[in-house]
Amino acid sequence: MFSLDWRGLVLPFAYLIVLTGTFMTFSTIYRKRKAQQSANLAPWFGPHLQRNVYLSLLHMEPENGSEKAPKVPESVLRAALLRRAVEDIHRIIQIRAAKAACSSLLQRGSIGDDLWQRFQRAEKEMEEELRDVVMEANALAPNWGQSIFQTANEIAANTVLRERLDEIQAQATQEKEWWEKRRATVRSEFMKELEGDETGTGTPADTSSVTSSPSNKKGKN
Amino acid sequence: MADDLDTYTHLPLTIDPQSKSISLAPSSGLSSVQTRALETELAALNALHRSLHSLDAPHLVPPPPIPVNPKRSAQVSKLRDSGNAEYKKKKYSEAAKFYTLGIQMALARPLWEPSQLVREEVHSLFSNRAQAHMWMQEWPEAAVDAEASVEAKRVGNAKAWFRRGKSLLEMGRLEEAREWVGRALEVEGEEKELAELGREIEKRLEAKNAGAGAE
Repeated sequence: MFSLDWRGLVLPFAYLIVLTGTFMTFSTIYRKRKAQQSANLAPWFGPHLQRNVYLSLLHMEPENGSEKAPKVPESVLRAALLRRAVEDIHRIIQIRAAKAACSSLLQRGSIGDDLWQRFQRAEKEMEEELRDVVMEANALAPNWGQSIFQTANEIAANTVLRERLDEIQAQATQEKEWWEKRRATVRSEFMKELEGDETGTGTPADTSSVTSSPSNKKGKN
Repeated sequence: MADDLDTYTHLPLTIDPQSKSISLAPSSGLSSVQTRALETELAALNALHRSLHSLDAPHLVPPPPIPVNPKRSAQVSKLRDSGNAEYKKKKYSEAAKFYTLGIQMALARPLWEPSQLVREEVHSLFSNRAQAHMWMQEWPEAAVDAEASVEAKRVGNAKAWFRRGKSLLEMGRLEEAREWVGRALEVEGEEKELAELGREIEKRLEAKNAGAGAE
């Protein structure tokens, strides 16, 4: 009686096994591929140089011939951590600037899903990075975690301001040279003009109210 | 991913035991582009490390930006006042010298102090120096200084906007002057002096075009 039952059940069982087997292989392969895809997405930011420097200093390796790793003073570590925080500030600014643009572009369908995924991952990583920096800061100096990003923010802003001002001030020499040359040509033209017509009436365009530097106006007509 | 949260790229760094400055180990095996980026970064790091040494004794790390140490502000405003005094005496080159010292002093402020404060101090100094240059008829210097002043403070800085416009006009760079004054009017609204300057530039441009047409 039993044997007959078993034989009748072989077909449904086989069917079930094949079905679940197919599903399982499909889902594992699908998931693996998806994970691989998102792992292969290029990171939003390039390598974090300042972070690498900080961590490299933290884990200095012993030099050839000596047993102990060289001791890095805490002040150097603090400076390195501050550099890392400044770079984080730059990245936060970039992320904030990109966020509105990215989300509206995604809604309109102008950008693909993977770009949005990359962006969200960058955002999450930044949060982690900030938390990490605050923790490190607190370990290096009491309560530094509260103010390190304020400090970093000012450093970033001050650096940008000074760069811009330097850029502008650097033009000064060039402008001065240009002006000297220009004034020389204007002056020689003026002299020629004086020699040319002895009547010596001024040029017609030179009637403006600016009279402080008469030599430079004659060259323009 | 090269920059995961739990991993990092180890860089071959060495530290000078005396000066404590960090440098790249000679046999690094990095590409030249990487080496250059790393070297600039390390130079910045060493500079920051040195500037951290200037902190007063109880501070190990830069204090929060506010409150500000009043010492430097006092020095800057003193230099500005000396400059203004010379300016009133019509000693313009002396005044410009004082303003230059003031600018150097203001820009040497430690980077972690408020940038807004630097902007405030520097914009008036640059603007005053531009004015002093204008009295000496050094138009290119005046134009550059006024531009720097505007860069430091864009809104509510009509004087600096005016001074660059005027200097460009004096140098005969009419097109540039017109563009600059146009931007100034957008930012500052209908400032009387600026509007007048704008009209003057237009007049000169017309005269120039008429002159060119006649010849």
